Amino acid sequence: MSGVHTPPGLAAPIHPILRRAVLTGLAFGAGAVHLTVVGVVLMLHQRWIVVGTLSLGEATLLAIAAGAGAMAAANAGTAAGARIMLGLLAGAVAAAPLAALAVLIDLVSLRAIFIALSPDLLAMLTLGLGPATGIALLIAGGAGAGLLGAALQQSPRAVIRAVLPGATAVVVAGVFQELIQLMLQQYEGVVNDVRAFLYSWEGLNPAGAITIFAVTALLGEAVGLRRRRRPAHAPPRDPRRARMMRAGIALLVLAVLPAFAGSYIGQVLMLVGLYILMGMGLNLEIGLAGLLDLGFVAFFAVGAYTTALLTTESAHALLHLSYWLAMPVAVLLSILVGVLFGLPVLGVRGDYLAVATLGLGEIVRVIVQSDFAAPLLGGAQGILEIPKPRIGPYVLGSPVALFYVTLAAAGVAAFVAWRLENSRLGRAWMALRDDEDVAQALGINLIQCKLLAYGLGAAFAGLAGSIFATMLTSVYPSSFQLLISINVLALIIVGGMGSLPGVVLGAVALIGLPELLREFGEYRYLFYGAVLIVMMRLRPEGLWPSDVRQRELHARDETLALDAGSDPLPVQPR
Amino acid sequence: MALLEIDAIHVFYDKIEALKGISLAVEQRQIVTLVGGNGAGKSTTLRAVSGLLHPRQGTIRFDGRDLAGLGAHDIAATGLVQVPEGRRIFGRLTVAENLEMGAFTRRDRHAVAEDRDRMMRLFPRLRERLKQVAGTLSGGEQQMLATARALMARPRLLLMDEPSMGLAPMLVEQVFETIRTINAQGVTILLVEQNAPAALGIADHGYVLESGRIVLSGAGRELLDDERVRRAYLG
Repeated sequence: MSGVHTPPGLAAPIHPILRRAVLTGLAFGAGAVHLTVVGVVLMLHQRWIVVGTLSLGEATLLAIAAGAGAMAAANAGTAAGARIMLGLLAGAVAAAPLAALAVLIDLVSLRAIFIALSPDLLAMLTLGLGPATGIALLIAGGAGAGLLGAALQQSPRAVIRAVLPGATAVVVAGVFQELIQLMLQQYEGVVNDVRAFLYSWEGLNPAGAITIFAVTALLGEAVGLRRRRRPAHAPPRDPRRARMMRAGIALLVLAVLPAFAGSYIGQVLMLVGLYILMGMGLNLEIGLAGLLDLGFVAFFAVGAYTTALLTTESAHALLHLSYWLAMPVAVLLSILVGVLFGLPVLGVRGDYLAVATLGLGEIVRVIVQSDFAAPLLGGAQGILEIPKPRIGPYVLGSPVALFYVTLAAAGVAAFVAWRLENSRLGRAWMALRDDEDVAQALGINLIQCKLLAYGLGAAFAGLAGSIFATMLTSVYPSSFQLLISINVLALIIVGGMGSLPGVVLGAVALIGLPELLREFGEYRYLFYGAVLIVMMRLRPEGLWPSDVRQRELHARDETLALDAGSDPLPVQPR
Repeated sequence: MALLEIDAIHVFYDKIEALKGISLAVEQRQIVTLVGGNGAGKSTTLRAVSGLLHPRQGTIRFDGRDLAGLGAHDIAATGLVQVPEGRRIFGRLTVAENLEMGAFTRRDRHAVAEDRDRMMRLFPRLRERLKQVAGTLSGGEQQMLATARALMARPRLLLMDEPSMGLAPMLVEQVFETIRTINAQGVTILLVEQNAPAALGIADHGYVLESGRIVLSGAGRELLDDERVRRAYLG
């Protein structure tokens, strides 16, 4: 109606698309402001990725803007060039709330409410250039990142395949510089020269960052090309075999790494190993038999205390056995406790079972802590002076040596778990999980099966507890908190219910990574929680789902697609 | 002597008396049916026979042996196998694994493999779906699987709980046809059904249940023609 000329049919569709880009930008911007106000960004800013050039905090904000750009570009239904401009817009819009925040901080002090809104933060957001220039740069930076994100989203696969691994490698190399430098410093010669080229003493230097990016990008490209070329003249490889091979390589790295990486990594991996042991045990109970157990830590405690009582050199000693004799006793006793634990909850199902086992687990901890049992178990002071295991004259004192003990135990346990899974008993457990009544009506002994699940599950935790005791050389009741049960449950869910490789992946992701991020202090549990939520939204079947679960999800999609008329829902377990 | 003899059993859910003295007998090779409306006690009777419920009074004898004190899994091992109400297949296992679970108590692997082939002939649809997750089968296929799973145990008496429930009319006909076929192959069947006309139509003997009591019994055909049954169930 106005004097401005608009080509008919163009004005109308563009408008909602622009609106969408702006909304996407605002959503990401709100996320960025949230992280900033909470203090995460400033904390991350303390840490360089590339010394003097890019901090982890800055990288986080840039990644958010890039994410906004990529998403805006993915959503829109216009030409490629226009999409990239939409990305630029979304990136700039994502930076806008941060800019507003910067202005706000500059005008009034909000530190009484949000302690993180400090002058340091202002300096970071404006790059120390004062509000006017800084804010312009902030918006420009957001727009640039949005543009890059959109461009990457629009690029051919070949580019993505190179850029993403390259960027990831730089971030990892930068963030974990201390660990990596420590690891490399042990060696003279070429290794140390490489280190000196990549790193200055306080972190990754620009030349190093570029080198790492280039090398990883090329590697990513090479791997991608090989994979692409294969189907042309050869039949596609069995995906399961490929997965197994990858798992094998990962295990090999896991096995060899601590020997070269020093004691800190050894310590972390050992903890991961203990959780893998427990995860495999709980996986028998929950993943196979469907018995939700929140008192699992009790068996861990039984294993630890049994080992302590049988080997300690303190006054609490019942016997002075060698560790290698005490360990099997600890495992046997854990089985016994597992069976006893199962008895009172035999008839309890589902949610009620979770609550009942929660109570049982707490009872064990409270008994251990009580004054009543203190003469035997040491009460809150615990039991000290547990010796390290020995082989002949050698004391397995170092974390690395104990890691190998854990690894061996996990190997044996994995074999047992794998055999159990494919046994008659394993089948009976799965039937039980799906329908208790019918399983019984088919001749499965419910009581026997359930008690075996608790007993065998407990054996794994007892073994872990036994190693734990000798690792710390002391045991305290406070080491056996409910949180351990919950962690084990979370790791098997994240890894993939009922899947052995899933347990390993879950333990590495949920136990290993937070250990490595220890210096982020209280914030690491923030990440932990966020990761759990994101995982359950995006990949509820877990990182490495069991065949059964995968089949189920896959088959359901197929059936839904084929005949929407039939009833595709599986029978729910009670 | 009858294969299954139920003698004056009383079954309670807490304080509610669900069965008030039920007696019935199933002879070898017969199809015997229990019909009646909702809450008449049909399923409760089956649950008592298969050991999921325990009668407070009265006895249940299978092949002359008193079942009192046996657990559900022990009873299954004696050859008394149930096709549960609402199918209740193991939804997360494959069709093949479901069949395997049916033969859980058996150790004779060769015979089990043969029986599996027999099931494939009896239910060709299942052969096509052996590797499929059972939860994704259609209702009719799930009923076939539940029946086949029970037959894998080589039952001496097959207890069927409402096999036609929730199925399309065409499939219902097929279900009763299957029951006849199985019976002709030598399996004794105790059938609980709400679909009285169809059940009585194939049964050698029928019992009519009403609020926990047997009110009528007789040969299937006779009951079908009985004026009282017609009025109550056949409209």
